[in-house]
Amino acid sequence: MDIAGKDTNMEPEKGNENPINYHATNMSSDWPSNDNNLIGTSIGIIPTGNSNVESFACSSALMADSSCPQIWNQPVSGQSLGYCDVNVQNIARTSDNFGPTSGGTGWIPDAMLRECVYLPTVPGMVPQSMPHFPAGSGFIERAVRFSCFSGGNFGDTMNPYRVPENLNSYSHILASTQGQHDVFASGGRNMNTTGSSKAVFLPSEYGIEGSPLKNKKTIEILPISRDEEKQGVGMLANDSNEVEFSSRGDQEELEGSPGESSGKGLGSKKRKSTEQNRELNENNRALEPSVETAKDDAEIQHKSDSGKHGKHGSQGSDLPKEEYIRVRARRGQATNSHSLAERLRREKISDRMKFLQDLVPGCSKVTGKAVMLDEIINYVQSLQRQVEFLSMKLATLNPQLTFNIEGFLTKDIIQSHIGSSSSLPFPPDMILPHPLLHQTPPGLIQPGLSNLGNSSNALRRSINSPFTAAFKESTSRGPNL
Amino acid sequence: MKARTGYSTSLKQEFLKKWIKGIRIYSNFKKDMNILERKKAIKLSADLAIASTRNASTRWSRTLTANISKNETNKIFVEQIFSDSEVIKKEAPSRLMARSNRIASKKIWRRSHITQIKARKMGPYAVKARSIAKKLVKNRTKVLKSLVPGGENMDGISLIKETLDYIVSLRVQVDVMRRLASAAENSTRSL
Repeated sequence: MDIAGKDTNMEPEKGNENPINYHATNMSSDWPSNDNNLIGTSIGIIPTGNSNVESFACSSALMADSSCPQIWNQPVSGQSLGYCDVNVQNIARTSDNFGPTSGGTGWIPDAMLRECVYLPTVPGMVPQSMPHFPAGSGFIERAVRFSCFSGGNFGDTMNPYRVPENLNSYSHILASTQGQHDVFASGGRNMNTTGSSKAVFLPSEYGIEGSPLKNKKTIEILPISRDEEKQGVGMLANDSNEVEFSSRGDQEELEGSPGESSGKGLGSKKRKSTEQNRELNENNRALEPSVETAKDDAEIQHKSDSGKHGKHGSQGSDLPKEEYIRVRARRGQATNSHSLAERLRREKISDRMKFLQDLVPGCSKVTGKAVMLDEIINYVQSLQRQVEFLSMKLATLNPQLTFNIEGFLTKDIIQSHIGSSSSLPFPPDMILPHPLLHQTPPGLIQPGLSNLGNSSNALRRSINSPFTAAFKESTSRGPNL
Repeated sequence: MKARTGYSTSLKQEFLKKWIKGIRIYSNFKKDMNILERKKAIKLSADLAIASTRNASTRWSRTLTANISKNETNKIFVEQIFSDSEVIKKEAPSRLMARSNRIASKKIWRRSHITQIKARKMGPYAVKARSIAKKLVKNRTKVLKSLVPGGENMDGISLIKETLDYIVSLRVQVDVMRRLASAAENSTRSL
């Protein structure tokens, strides 16, 4: 009588195991074109990588209504170009935002396009390799910078929780596509799989070239945030934040002028110095004039918008750079570094809340942290109560506490006429110590494919089908207490 | 698809196996149990089994096992069932406490300072709304921490991660228990 119910129950159960298998499923569903690259680069960091993919999908959807469609019509002939595409879209979007404010920024997409063609040369640049394409790095820096600008405008129009997602997605994408930008991207979680040599490389490079510039302190975070990824994001977030504070403190001293609007001013100064830095790095001299004008435009924009964007712009600017370890402290706030770290933390939290949304039924609408936490609490409580109830029920059903599973199966099989499984010997040695085939790695990562192809797995699967068949008459899901 | 269902069913089978094993050992310990004791045995074995599927890699599983082992009688039971590697004592709680205190004091300072700055920028009402929202979140986080075993001194990020894992495991537990209960019910009904 409950067979139909059980059937419908099976489906959501399968669906509910989804979060464990983010990697296998969400990747394929959300990013058919780009999954290879992303998988190749971030296979170790699946939850965060997956969050990137998901947020990336959102951001690309956002980009879809940019008014520079001609950029999208560029031949997209490779996976990396797919990323390039999004970068360009991103920048196109930023150029949209620039339009009203600083005028004359239409050239930006062209510059980006020009650099976009460099990307196909970099597809081999999987995170393991050392950077060999300074032009590419310049592109990414500029992309980051423009995404920062866009972040300022996003902040005006979008829910604060959304801002970090988008920027985070940009930064992660930028990080993952360019192997070189491990230099920047160790803050990004998907760099976890990369080699350990980046930390050494970056400080030396920037130490040399940064010293003539004022912003030598901008690039100091790399070793620490690499530690962050090594030791796990959650625990060490605080440590890295603390170190970030101290280093950024120096920066503030360097730069001088206080005042709120100078929060933006500092940002602009740093962008200036970043651009100078990039000029030193870039081999592509054709881009220099555009860099200069970008710098001027940036200054203009900042001066005009210093009051307007207030916090958002600098927050937006800080976030992607933060992912690239170049933490931009906000002027005028003695707690610059703190709020930066807090924003990073908040973004991480919101990423994970997204996973929870999938898990907890009824949480699909984005309703904010408090409501979602409420739902989560209710769900956990209900699950715990169900466990209690079911254990009591089992205790009543079974006075001797003998669970004769074989007995259950045969009876149920005969009762419900579920096919030919009566021939299956349900091995009682399933109860015995049985080589546990695969233990889940910490929580969320799921390489479930290791199960397949195992001979005992076939046995288990055959065991399982009568099992599930036998349990077809089951109560409905959901709290029925 | 196949990988996904394969994983979940393997998890369920593992859990079921361990659970049944635990129940058998328990019932070998104590011959005649009244219903409450049976229920306790069932629940204990279920909790132990589901915690051991994580192989002590998550905080909640370690805490759960540790809590169960606190009881002396249970301890023997636990050690019989599982190898010692899985019964891991909670890691250096003193270190964690010190760490969390330090973090907490930093957070307090940071929060107060940020509030000042925001009050300057956004005006007092916005700040108040924001602080109310934060309070709500904070209260609920506290409740969640009390729900998830071992969630007491964890920061927000890892708390959510643990919650995720815990929810999944709870689901597996409930699912298997429910199926077993229904099968038992059917078998007794058919008798």
